[in-house]
Amino acid sequence: MTATTLRTLSAIAAQEAPRLRAAYPDVFRVDLKRRALTIGGIGLLVGLFALGLTMLETSWTRVFLGLGELGKFVVYMIPPDPGSWSKALVYLGALAETVAIAILGTVLAAILALPFGFLAARNVVPSWILRFLMRRSLDTIRSVDALIWALIWVNVVGLGPFAGVLAIMTSDFGTFGKLFSEAVEAADAKASEGIKSTGGSDLHQVRFGLLPQVLPLFASQVLYYIESNTRSATIIGIVGAGGIGLHLYEQIRTLEYQHVSFIIILVLAAVSLIDWVSSRLRFSVIGIRQT
Amino acid sequence: MLAIEGLTRRFGTKAAVSNVSLEIEPGAFVGVIGRSGAGKSTLLRLINRLVDPSEGRIVCDGVDVTALSGQALRHWRADCAMIFQQFNLVGRLDVLTNVLTGRLAKVSTGRSVLRLWGDDDKARALAALDMLDMAPFAAQRADSLSGGQQQRVAIARALVQEPKILLADEPIASLDPRNTKVVMDSLQRINKELGITILCNLHSLDLARAYCDRLVGMADGRVVFQGRGFDLTDHVARDLYGLEAGDVMEDAHEMGAGTRMAASA
Repeated sequence: MTATTLRTLSAIAAQEAPRLRAAYPDVFRVDLKRRALTIGGIGLLVGLFALGLTMLETSWTRVFLGLGELGKFVVYMIPPDPGSWSKALVYLGALAETVAIAILGTVLAAILALPFGFLAARNVVPSWILRFLMRRSLDTIRSVDALIWALIWVNVVGLGPFAGVLAIMTSDFGTFGKLFSEAVEAADAKASEGIKSTGGSDLHQVRFGLLPQVLPLFASQVLYYIESNTRSATIIGIVGAGGIGLHLYEQIRTLEYQHVSFIIILVLAAVSLIDWVSSRLRFSVIGIRQT
Repeated sequence: MLAIEGLTRRFGTKAAVSNVSLEIEPGAFVGVIGRSGAGKSTLLRLINRLVDPSEGRIVCDGVDVTALSGQALRHWRADCAMIFQQFNLVGRLDVLTNVLTGRLAKVSTGRSVLRLWGDDDKARALAALDMLDMAPFAAQRADSLSGGQQQRVAIARALVQEPKILLADEPIASLDPRNTKVVMDSLQRINKELGITILCNLHSLDLARAYCDRLVGMADGRVVFQGRGFDLTDHVARDLYGLEAGDVMEDAHEMGAGTRMAASA
């Protein structure tokens, strides 16, 4: 252990380099083909993006001139004003309806999607045919936007918030099915194996091995969608599916910009409040471990 | 010379490490022993500054490590490489890239993020893997390896940091007896041939006696024993492990028998 015999790794590496180069040439070879493919791929994407912008007649001058108009809107909107107290109460009631549509629709979608999320997961359903059918049907439902579903449901059950709830439920059923099944597939198989080893059935493995792992993830996705759907519910209100959207549309159409800004601020406040509540709920569901 | 002066770390009201003072001479192979929760892990993590101390100082070659921040802190971490019980490799990256991450403190950010490693760094990584007989696995994904192989990759990553000190946190707790020997022999060789100081947390008293030139015993966050392997009598072990002492000593005797059998085979 005398100091003279000590060597550094760098010295060893320098000394051994020729032998290592000969033994492992792949490590030192710069893969020019792969590098060219990467750079070429990025170039292609940038080109495609530029082509898309020109094909959609992007006119920066129009954007620039339009900015003045945008400024005018903002000026018209100040100060936000509902006009009268009774009007303000109407708007508040409609906002409550919007939030209710969002929460009901999202929760119903999540409950419906729960079994489908497991049935579309590779590690739960080994049969690829069943899984394929599940996935494609979820894709089909998801490919139709909430707004289109609202138009469909308004024709089926008539105008009003019930159509809104159904619209949110159907479109997010597809989304949750996909998100849930992906969460289930990413779950650790060790816990399920432990349950299996005790003599548990397949259902036990899902109930005790998988569900506790994925439930916090499901909860945080659902909470995010409640927030996101408060915004969506505003839009579907415009086609007559209940909520504050219809009022917003009316006020824009009749150029009552002070009403518009009041409604926008109401929606903003509601979304922030939901975000605040849901982030607290999420942390309590995930159960941040105390160190 | 690494000097730890009155080091304390509290989590909430509980002190995981409590007023620990130690001096570690360069080139030593020091074993830290004690039951689970005695503060061994926290002590090592404090030295690497993965955890910040509540009180006290760590001084290495005249530099107050506890005062470092930013670039200087990153260089200190590179200087005291760490290996973990669960290996802490990036499973989705290949073995060579995992080892090359040991150079991150020394390579420019632009080059490292784009994975444009220099040939000299690749040579270092391969030489380190070669020392641990892992060079043929360079292109494999780290999570395709067995536990013992992963720990050897982790040691290679530590080696390319060209550290002064290697902190090993229960390096063999997840390994079978054969891999335990491979890993402990590798650490010994690194200590003897490269002169890197080693601070190693161990559960097994037998291994601690066999490999370490100095032992530090911890209980309830305090250092309660310092000495050489033969100073570690049954009486001291009982102090360290309390009621578990009988079990621990029995294990140690059994393992001793196993090692002797392996040696005669």
